[in-house]
Formats: sequence, C-alpha cells, structure tokens
Amino acid sequence: MQSIELSNEAPTAAPAAARIGIGGPVGCGKTALIERLIPVLQRRGINFAVVTNDLVTKEDALRLQRSGLIDPTRVSAVEAGACPHTVIREDPTLNIAAGDEMERLHPGLELVIFESGGDNLASTYSLDLVDWWMFVIDVAGGDDIPRKRGPGVLRSDLLVVNKVDLAPHVGVDLDQMLADARSVRNGRPVLATNARTGQAIEELADIILHAVLLER
Amino acid sequence: MATLDVVHVLGSRLDPDLAEKLHGLSHHGTIRYLELETADTARRRLRATTADGLDVGIMLPREERLFDGAVLHMDEESALVVRVRGERWLVLMPSSVPEALELGYHAGNLHWRVRFDEGRLLVALEAPAADYLARLGHLAAHVPHHVEGPDERREVS
Ligand SMILES: Nc1nc2c(ncn2[C@@H]2O[C@H](COP(=O)(O)OP(=O)(O)OP(=O)(O)O)[C@@H](O)[C@H]2O)c(=O)[nH]1
Ligand SMILES: [Mg+2]
Repeated sequence: MQSIELSNEAPTAAPAAARIGIGGPVGCGKTALIERLIPVLQRRGINFAVVTNDLVTKEDALRLQRSGLIDPTRVSAVEAGACPHTVIREDPTLNIAAGDEMERLHPGLELVIFESGGDNLASTYSLDLVDWWMFVIDVAGGDDIPRKRGPGVLRSDLLVVNKVDLAPHVGVDLDQMLADARSVRNGRPVLATNARTGQAIEELADIILHAVLLER
Repeated sequence: MATLDVVHVLGSRLDPDLAEKLHGLSHHGTIRYLELETADTARRRLRATTADGLDVGIMLPREERLFDGAVLHMDEESALVVRVRGERWLVLMPSSVPEALELGYHAGNLHWRVRFDEGRLLVALEAPAADYLARLGHLAAHVPHHVEGPDERREVS
C-alpha cells in the first residue's frame, strides 16, 4: 500500500480572523446592534475588532471608541468618500487593509466586524472582503421594504429586522413584515431585534459565531 | 454526525502528486465531493455538507481560496475535493440598439455581474431569474431571454 501524507494542518500559523459585514440603510441601527453585540462577544471570550465606514467622517468609530465598551485601539474607521457601497463591494481594498491592520495590531484576533456606511437597498458586500454578512432594515422604514426585494434583503446571509419596539407606533404589522421577509428569502434566516433593549442579541451572536466557526 | 475541519487547501486535484493519490483512492478508497456555488468559493469561512452527510467547516487563511478541484483533505482511505456548480446565466438578446442601450444602463446600474457575447448580454444568476427580470420592468417583456446553466435543459420563459 502506498503511503499517503496526512496533512490538513496549515503549514503556518492559526487561520486568519473571520470577517463579517453589517450593512443596511441609514439609521437602521447598525452601530446600535454592534454596541449590543460587543459585551456579548466579550463574555463569550471572542477576540474581535470593529471597522466602521462613514462617508467623510469617523463618526461611528468615535462613538464606539468613546463608548467605554471596547478598547479604542480595536476600532478603526474607513472613510468611503463616495457612495458607501463602493468600499464594500466594487473596491474593498481600503477595508481589507483596515482588517489586515487590526490583525497586525491584535495578535490572535478571531473576528473583524465591518460596518458599512448607511446605504440603499441595493447595497451588498463582496465576499472578497467578508466571509458572511447581514443586512439590517428597521420596522420604522416601512413594512413594504421586504416586498421591494432589494439585493441586500434577498442575498444577505442573515436579514435583521430591527427596532421591533417601534412597530405599534408606526402602524406596522410586524408578523406580516417578517412573513414577507421570509417568503422573499427562500429559507435564508430572518431575525427580529430590538437594539434598545437587547432583544435577540444573544441569538444574533449565536448565528454569527456558528456561521464563521467561532462557536464555543 | 461526522464533521471535518479544513484549515488549508492541500492543492489542486490536477497537481501530479495529488492526482496520483486520488487515482489510487478511486480504486481502493472514497473520494467525496463538496459541491459549492461559485459565489461561495470567495468565502474563507464556510460551513457546508457533502451529499453523504459529512459536515465540513472551512477556515482558510486569507491568501488561500476555494476553487473547482481544490483538495481539502486526504488520508489513506478518503479524500475531499471541491466541485463548483456551474454558473447559471440569464441570457438577454436585445433586438435593437435602443433596447441594448437601455438594458446596458440597467445592468450597470444594478451592478450585475455580466458577460457579453455577440450582441447577447449574459447576467450571472445568484438568485432566481425572476428576481432579475422583475428589475428590468417592461424590458423583460420585450427582450427575448432564457436561462443557461449546467442543470438547465434551457429554462425558456
Ligand atoms: N426604538 C429603537 N431605536 C433604535 C433601535 N436601534 C437603533 N435605534 C436608534 O436609531 C438611531 C440610529 O441608530 P444607529 O445605530 O446610529 O444607526 P446606523 O444604522 O448605525 O446609522 P448610520 O451608520 O448612520 O447608517 C439611533 O437614535 C438609535 O438609538 C431599536 O431597536 N429601537
Ligand atoms: Mg452607524
């Protein structure tokens, strides 16, 4: 019998950090969800960093750095300078470099979270940049959003419907909105959250960590 | 349930060394295939399951990438090889210059991944063709089209 080398070991170091993207329209609650995820990920012992994207400022990065939730050196900003989707889809090199820099600064880093600048429903992430991405919409944006079948809503690995607390105030039938979202997504997951109270944030962390093989 | 973690691509099934071992396994061993969509091959982290139920967890370094024929595992009894499902294309055949111009405008505006083929516009499908056609509005009704792909006998609509 001929001998066969057994090797599935990487010849070099540990695998690179997983990279995930969070996209969605302006004000849907992307940064608020990250603020809620931070303590949950910390409690689970995940070594992670965040890269935010804004148009011409570092507003979201500064907000996270000043939040006291996370070591400020674990947050960095990329200024898109144009339509936010250009730096997550057409040419993600600035974000890739920011992720690489975070891995260099924090040895053993396991996860980098990229927050896209608020954009329209057509915004999607390049899988050259991230391994997995979620798209966030909010109840107050209108219950017809899922029916508009934007690429972000259809193709994301997870669709998050945030601000569920606002449904009664804006006359939205939440169950119908979630049913519509599920029906356009062909069985891909949909999660309803409230970043104000932290509702469903543990489930959100479960889904993310399972998808990128960081469960423990 | 059996699971296999993959942290490194061993090489291509066409590399002489691996090809020889695969040949050996094809006689007295098992070669499993992990079927992936083209779009998913860009991911470095991925969970997938083989047809016979082996759960595979992929965690690659950023400089490595999945591809058709990538060998993910090999031992004395078995090997695991990536098989990329052929892409499906929506083929649009504009019959006039105004139609072609309008079609080109929409395809660009929607950031579709396209190929050009002698007056035909081919759009890579990552969702049902109906989703793409819906975005074209009245053009979808006027421009002849069909879907081409590995499993399609030619899904004419
Ligand atoms: N009631 C309610 N308000 C929320 C919720 N999530 C976020 N908000 C509020 O919505 C506003 C926008 O939230 P952000 O987290 O800044 O939204 P964003 O998506 O990061 O916005 P951009 O980065 O500017 O696109 C803030 O005032 C949040 O407090 C929620 O679940 N319920
Ligand atoms: Mg934000």
